[in-house]
Amino acid sequence: MTTTLIFYFFAATLIFAAFRVITVRNPVHAALFLVLTFFSSAAIWLLLQAEFLAIALVLVYVGAVMVLFLFVVMMLDINFAPLREGFAKHLPVGLTVGFLILIEMVMVVTHWKGLANPSTVVTTEMSNTKMLGQVLYTVYAYPFEIAAAILLVAMIAAIALTSRLHNRAKYQKPEQQVVVRREDRIRLISMPAEPKD
Amino acid sequence: MLENYLPILFFMIIGIAIGAVMSIIGFLLGTRRPNPEKDSPYECGFEAFEDARMKFDVRYYLVAILFIIFDLEIAFLFPWAVIIKSAGLFEFIAMMIFLSILVIGFIYEWKKGALEWE
Repeated sequence: MTTTLIFYFFAATLIFAAFRVITVRNPVHAALFLVLTFFSSAAIWLLLQAEFLAIALVLVYVGAVMVLFLFVVMMLDINFAPLREGFAKHLPVGLTVGFLILIEMVMVVTHWKGLANPSTVVTTEMSNTKMLGQVLYTVYAYPFEIAAAILLVAMIAAIALTSRLHNRAKYQKPEQQVVVRREDRIRLISMPAEPKD
Repeated sequence: MLENYLPILFFMIIGIAIGAVMSIIGFLLGTRRPNPEKDSPYECGFEAFEDARMKFDVRYYLVAILFIIFDLEIAFLFPWAVIIKSAGLFEFIAMMIFLSILVIGFIYEWKKGALEWE
């Protein structure tokens, strides 16, 4: 009973925050509402006893991804007014994409065994992290390695996109520093003594 | 299991309540006599030199993106660390392949000088 109430509280918060993400005018506020959305969904996952996923959502998305979002939104000199223009022009494309995503989600949710009955929360003594670990590295080992490959591609793409400028970094070379001799640095010049005034 | 998270729920409720009460009391009791001079942005007592938004070196974003990628890698390590005591060789090798793929990226990043600063 209490769990249901808590669920409805977080679900209402999530829907409200997700709605505000797309309606609020200030992009910084939109990013903060997205943080609230992630946080509410983490709470809902926690209610489903998916502890590890909930904490990972908070750590990875709220802690890292949204910080990058906020950094971009707050610091970059983008004029956001032109981005809001052309709402009617982009509406058909947006509606089509949204409709397709809706159909896909309905198909997934209605055809997935175990989701049809919402009360089938796994209630075992074993922790969620342990259960995840027992299948992730054995049954789903192949998708797991694909995740590594995707992360590798993302890393290389990020570096390749940003390092087009030549590297102007200055290095210290200790091996050259230690072999320096006195003659490389100091030159003694013999000069005639100047008369004292 | 959910009972263990009850203190966190209380903590959240109290946190939200304190934040809301402080804002509301400040809103109700505080004196507000705004004028254009007070509302204008300032920077340590003088007029602001420029807008806060400006062009940034792309390396800040690169560092942030690389942080996110390694953060995800760490997230994959947690369930593995929990089960590795009872797991067999297969799980160990699976994680070693995962890590070696990402180490390739790390070596690339290192050799490319992506983490070097001027």
